[in-house]
Amino acid sequence: MRSQKLETSLRLLTLQLESWKKLHDLVTYGLDKEKPIISSEQERQFTETRANLLQETEYIFRQLNILDGLSGKAMNVLQRTVSVRGLRDLTGEDVRRLEMEWNAVFTKLGTIQGQLKARRKQLAGQTVIAYYLGRLFRWPAIAA
Amino acid sequence: MEIRVLILNADPVFQDRALVVFDRLNLQTEIVRTFAEAIVALLAENFDAFAIEGEPQAAMEQATNARQHFPSLPIVCLCTRPHRGDVALLAEQQKIALVSYARTTRGLRRRIERFVRSIDTEGAPHAEGVDPCHSLVGNLNQFSAAEILQMSCLSQRSGRFIFKSRRGNSEIYLQHGSVRHAVFGSLEGESAVAEVFRWRQGRFYFEEGVISQVQTVDRPWAHLLIENLQKLDETLDLVSL
Repeated sequence: MRSQKLETSLRLLTLQLESWKKLHDLVTYGLDKEKPIISSEQERQFTETRANLLQETEYIFRQLNILDGLSGKAMNVLQRTVSVRGLRDLTGEDVRRLEMEWNAVFTKLGTIQGQLKARRKQLAGQTVIAYYLGRLFRWPAIAA
Repeated sequence: MEIRVLILNADPVFQDRALVVFDRLNLQTEIVRTFAEAIVALLAENFDAFAIEGEPQAAMEQATNARQHFPSLPIVCLCTRPHRGDVALLAEQQKIALVSYARTTRGLRRRIERFVRSIDTEGAPHAEGVDPCHSLVGNLNQFSAAEILQMSCLSQRSGRFIFKSRRGNSEIYLQHGSVRHAVFGSLEGESAVAEVFRWRQGRFYFEEGVISQVQTVDRPWAHLLIENLQKLDETLDLVSL
């Protein structure tokens, strides 16, 4: 059995995680002082990834019911990361906070992705009839 | 075997009508946002079809561009608006399937399902074994098709190369160090050679002495090699766009 809602949630979550990974790659590059050259192409990619995250994060978090817990942290990360070049001007404390908040968002999204994949695997082994019968018989008994 | 579809959509979160349909189908999908990302994914040869979702003109332009570099790949344009006659004509010329958004999701689903049914995954190899008549066997990830064909042509070989990848099987016939005939699915001749040039995964087998009666390639090997390597460079250039 395949659940439309589950598949859509997984698709949105995968897209969101990909964008967070891309952002992290560019942030890591920007913070690496041994790599002095930051190309305009990297800045363009960074702006594009950030733009995608800014417009999609709130919508996707709302769809996944995690808006309250995660939205603030995600926005903090996006507001602090202005450009790849700008990252080099951040203080040590700011960088640490940025990494912590990115990690909180990434961990939560990764965990939910795992849960959804597990649910998909579980559903794949069931037929539609078995699924609804299972739901019917798990229904809590009401005391008279 | 599950069909793998690569979907190019610049705004996959908010413009997702076709993506919702793909969610319902039993397919393995991957979504990319830019054409460059799509080329990188297609070069890795992990997909049976390529879907481009967007405005008719822009989607068709990208599809035509992809067709030049991946001649045998099933491509579909999922147009967000009704398309004009010239777009339909170009699609027919380039063997690109064209699907416009239907009024209902059910209608769109029917159209996408029709495209998915038309994807042929039967050509993929299932069994693998070394036949004693194969005088040369190897992996394409270690030796590219260009390298082994170059080696065989330089040593004036005659025989048949069979290339097997997830995309399907292709045969290239050599005669006295020249390519005489090539076939891959419905493609024949130089376009079949061009297809094999891009393969980076799969196996190859050479059978000495098998000669083709048909001749579909009449240019010298050196010309084919240079032209196809140039085409490959052009494909790789798209990645950096």
